Amino acid sequence: MTKKVELRVYGMTCDDCVAHVSEGLKGTKGVLDVIVSLKDGKAEVLINDAVNPKELENIEVFKKPSHYKAQVRRVKDE
Amino acid sequence: MSEYDLAIIGIGAAAFSAAIKASELTSNQMKIAMIGYGALGGTCVNVGCVPSKYLIEASKSFRNAKKMVYDGMESSVTIDFNEFMESLNKFVETEREEKYTKVLKNFKNIDLYDGKAKFIDKNTVTVNGNKISAFNFIIATGSKTFIPDLKGLVNYYTSDNIWTIRKIPEKLAILGSGEVALELANAFSNFGSEVHIINRSNRLLKGFDDDITNELRNIMAKNGIKFHLGVDIKEIKNNKEKKIIFYNGTEQPIDVDEIIVAMGRQPNIEELCLEKAEVKYNHGILVDSHMKTSCENIYAAGDCVEQELKLETLAGKEGAVAAGNILGSDESINIKEIPWAAFCEPNVASVGYTEKELKLQNRDYIVRKIDLKNVVKANILKSNEGIVKIISDNEKRILGMQIIAPHAAEFIIEGVYLVKHRLTYDDIINTSHIFPTVAESVKIAGQSFIRDISKMSCCME
Repeated sequence: MTKKVELRVYGMTCDDCVAHVSEGLKGTKGVLDVIVSLKDGKAEVLINDAVNPKELENIEVFKKPSHYKAQVRRVKDE
Repeated sequence: MSEYDLAIIGIGAAAFSAAIKASELTSNQMKIAMIGYGALGGTCVNVGCVPSKYLIEASKSFRNAKKMVYDGMESSVTIDFNEFMESLNKFVETEREEKYTKVLKNFKNIDLYDGKAKFIDKNTVTVNGNKISAFNFIIATGSKTFIPDLKGLVNYYTSDNIWTIRKIPEKLAILGSGEVALELANAFSNFGSEVHIINRSNRLLKGFDDDITNELRNIMAKNGIKFHLGVDIKEIKNNKEKKIIFYNGTEQPIDVDEIIVAMGRQPNIEELCLEKAEVKYNHGILVDSHMKTSCENIYAAGDCVEQELKLETLAGKEGAVAAGNILGSDESINIKEIPWAAFCEPNVASVGYTEKELKLQNRDYIVRKIDLKNVVKANILKSNEGIVKIISDNEKRILGMQIIAPHAAEFIIEGVYLVKHRLTYDDIINTSHIFPTVAESVKIAGQSFIRDISKMSCCME
């Protein structure tokens, strides 16, 4: 079973930030696909059962000293 | 409908702290609604700490000028109380402008709404008929003064409106014996009022050991404040000139010119419709150690929370903790690390555990108490009535500190570091303190754990 997680992502100001956040999410176990929007400050993350959506808020790229923060907004079964 | 990442209900210390912290953590990208009514800044800057400390400091200045304490000096001093109170209110306006209005202008991500918020569901409130939705909420609506149901209590001041007074009352009754009551009593006594403190409770303040509050009462009584504690007010009769207070336990009623009600504050939550958001409350909003309410996306901070201490600094801390936790932090507050002070003269301040609390918990402890007469600076100031009391555990770690002394509110911070970082009385002794200062009293109290301080010279290490 896969799920689509919508994350509100704070702190992104440029395309490098988008790349950084995307890489951080893609490198997480259980993450299958990632689309990050700088304009909306959001990320759509496709995950499998190996990851709890809430745990995405605390992956390395969203932890100090990183200045990016994320909060789960929606989780939908795909 | 307007949509936000975070809606903060309140415009006081907790609300501002939460809004600024959330903005900082998100590089000002969190879209925030701040909703409230009344003067920006809430209780502290408008009717709390700021005007009350201005009043107290000015009253001390007046008293000191009137009664010079050093030999060979005389002075004459007059006061235009109306002009003074105008200056106090101007000062409050300036501070509100500088610390709140201008500060808010730095945050383009925060929208301010003037009005009362009422929950419709856990993600929506109405304000003046308009809907505002948010993914996260922080409730920070503060508190209001408690007014007892007393026959004849119709014409009185509270800490909310005492700032409109323009004449020093000849005789003043203050109902209550907490920090607000003591501070206002001290201020008006300094200005020359005959002050009567009246309360049902037998004690002054909450959260202090009896030896401390008894000492404070003795000092304030020596300074002319009259205490009527452990009494029940039966009725207040009002005539054109006076308010006459009848209470049990005395032969004579007290007639006064003015009454200030200072019997505590209660959380400001009635109009929020908390049930609609499934937020549980008792007298105040119930929160866990992370400031989260019974509803997953709603946090609360400050005086609206069900908690013993109502402090601006605690409210600010709670607001920041709530904002951080919404954004993934795992922060909580240890209430024993939060200092407390009343700015009566001398100041009274505390941090950590009291003896009373440790006894209730059956914990072992060691206590030392020194008289302020052992402190040279207090003698220089000719204000040497007071106590420094330190409590440690059996491993010398400081568990609590209570102080009555001039400037105690300024140096209780030493106790905060000691308690927060589990330091010992050896750490106090091995740390150089400036001589002569009143703060040196902490070092002398620390030394009293290991030696007889009556056999110590100045600056003994």
